Amino acid sequence: METFELLLHGFSVALQPTNLMWALVGSVLGTAIGILPGIGPALTIALLLPVTTALAPTSAFIMFAGILYGAMYGGSTTSILLNTPGEAGSMMTALEGNKMARAGRGAAALATAAIGSFVAGTIATLALTFAAPAVAELAFYFKPTDYFAITALAFCSVAVVMGTSRTRGFVSLFLGIAIGVIGIDTMTGQPRLTFGNMQLLRGIALTVVLVSLFAVGEILYVASRYRSTPGVMAPIKGQLWMTKQDFARSWKPWLRGTAIGFPMGALPGSGSEIPTMLSYTLERKLTKYPEEFGKGAIEGVAGPEAANNAAAAGILVPLLTLGLPTSATAAVLLAAFQNYGLQPGPFLFTSNPALIWGLIASLYVGNVMLLVLNLPLVGIWVQLLRIPRPQLYAGILVFAMIGVWGLAGSWVDLTIMLVVGLGGYVMRVYDFPIAPVLIGLILGPMAETQLRTALAAGQGNPMVLVSTPLSAILITLAVLLLALPILLKRLRANA
Amino acid sequence: MSTDGRNTTEGGSPAAAPASPKPYWIGIGLMVMGAVWLYNGFGLPQGARYAAVGPGLFVTLAGGGLLILGAILVLQIWRGESFEAQDAEDADGSTKMDKRAFLTALVAVALPIVTMGPLGMPFTATLSFVLVANAFGSRRWLLDLICGLILACAAWFLFKQLGLQLGRFFPPLGV
Repeated sequence: METFELLLHGFSVALQPTNLMWALVGSVLGTAIGILPGIGPALTIALLLPVTTALAPTSAFIMFAGILYGAMYGGSTTSILLNTPGEAGSMMTALEGNKMARAGRGAAALATAAIGSFVAGTIATLALTFAAPAVAELAFYFKPTDYFAITALAFCSVAVVMGTSRTRGFVSLFLGIAIGVIGIDTMTGQPRLTFGNMQLLRGIALTVVLVSLFAVGEILYVASRYRSTPGVMAPIKGQLWMTKQDFARSWKPWLRGTAIGFPMGALPGSGSEIPTMLSYTLERKLTKYPEEFGKGAIEGVAGPEAANNAAAAGILVPLLTLGLPTSATAAVLLAAFQNYGLQPGPFLFTSNPALIWGLIASLYVGNVMLLVLNLPLVGIWVQLLRIPRPQLYAGILVFAMIGVWGLAGSWVDLTIMLVVGLGGYVMRVYDFPIAPVLIGLILGPMAETQLRTALAAGQGNPMVLVSTPLSAILITLAVLLLALPILLKRLRANA
Repeated sequence: MSTDGRNTTEGGSPAAAPASPKPYWIGIGLMVMGAVWLYNGFGLPQGARYAAVGPGLFVTLAGGGLLILGAILVLQIWRGESFEAQDAEDADGSTKMDKRAFLTALVAVALPIVTMGPLGMPFTATLSFVLVANAFGSRRWLLDLICGLILACAAWFLFKQLGLQLGRFFPPLGV
């Protein structure tokens, strides 16, 4: 029961008063940004990255985890009451949740979302507790070849799954990879694409790209197509607690949502959109009340909300065990680890158990906090929506600029913010996915290092890239992911 | 820079709302960017004596990838691929672009490049705050100025406490 002992040790770290305070700060911030438009968990954590200079790693990650989970709770509130999903993962919740709220069952919808999030978050954290050490144990045997194959598969799945078309997914991914090669080559010390600019030698920081794409791009885009008539908020009516029948109809969707969300969150590219969509479709098929779907069926809120939170825990498995980010938020968390000079992966479990287990234990604590913060206090949280939009977006730009300027006090970073921000605007206008840019930016240099190490070990023979069973399987999967849709299309056309 | 190629053509075409039907310039921009990366990649060693792969290979791959993807995109646009603007929480993708609002917000983003160093963070942030608020339709200049100033000063002191290097408060006065 080694895992259990380590978890207990983690709780002794997470329950220290300072860490409890940071968990509370994270949960409050997370819920707030989940409710507010224009700012999500990835951007918030990126803007808070500078605090890593002043905070101990354990406290910082406990706060970041609170933000990650909190945003999922907060996002559901706006979906249900306003029909405006704050996060991509809350889109499905809005479908049924808002109908319930309009029919005077808003309180029950909020309750099933919050309790479902809690149940899913707790079960998924439990799964993380036992899955992570097992995967980390396996990862000890991984060679550079295997790591390269993992990143290659991650690239393909991110580009194929995210976005409206494969071409646009790959464009985003390659933009990220292209930005990632700027700066000094770590293996030979040679400058690449610096155009003689000294400040570009250190490369372009993830924070600058992320803040520019998510905050600046969003501000420019929303300003250009601003819908100034705010949505109508449905009043919170009905009993503040669910009825017996609501419970009976919710508990199975919670569990099914968790079962879908957790493994899918761990896969690159699926994010929180796909598991929530799957859960919604499944609940619609299994329900005994099909006539209620589209008019406010509680199953359609319970399932997707659970899937959403379970997926948030799922992304932590590949991140903590392999150092592999599968979403934008995970990419920022990886950058936070790198700020501390830490590399997530199997060695972190042995070298820094207090951090890893403190973080995992804080997820349990954060979940309880979030349930208490969200369920009874929802009336207070929605007041945040009263912040006038002009001042809200103006404030987001102020924080974005502090985040970029605070990195190195360089006008080059501010210029990059403008150019990449314009890029983010164009991507929104022409519907290119944004997350693959970040995955390419952070995984590109990792893939390059692993590729070069693997090839050096194999004395330049490219066959070394498929020399282990795992790498052969993963590379085959990556090729299939690319080729299968084209082949199927051809076959269908011939048939 | 990531979007060199795009900026050269940024000026006119995205103005047509909801999205111009044939945005060839994006594909061409990507191809230009790919060519820059390729050119730089070829200037670097592709191989290294013991390492088999040199610092140039990945740059070449990134450039080649962008070049090919740009060409595919041009082809897809020619074949009639549709591009619809994304919906956001406060934005309607199908509405026409408000050029004045866009340009005001753009000035707010560009301003720090010029003023951040000589005039300091709090001053710059206040100005940008007022500009963005204006872009979103606020006409209460004085209120925005006061709000922006309070937020910028509070953020400056807070992040300074956290150990962030944000420069002087107002450099012209030496404080």
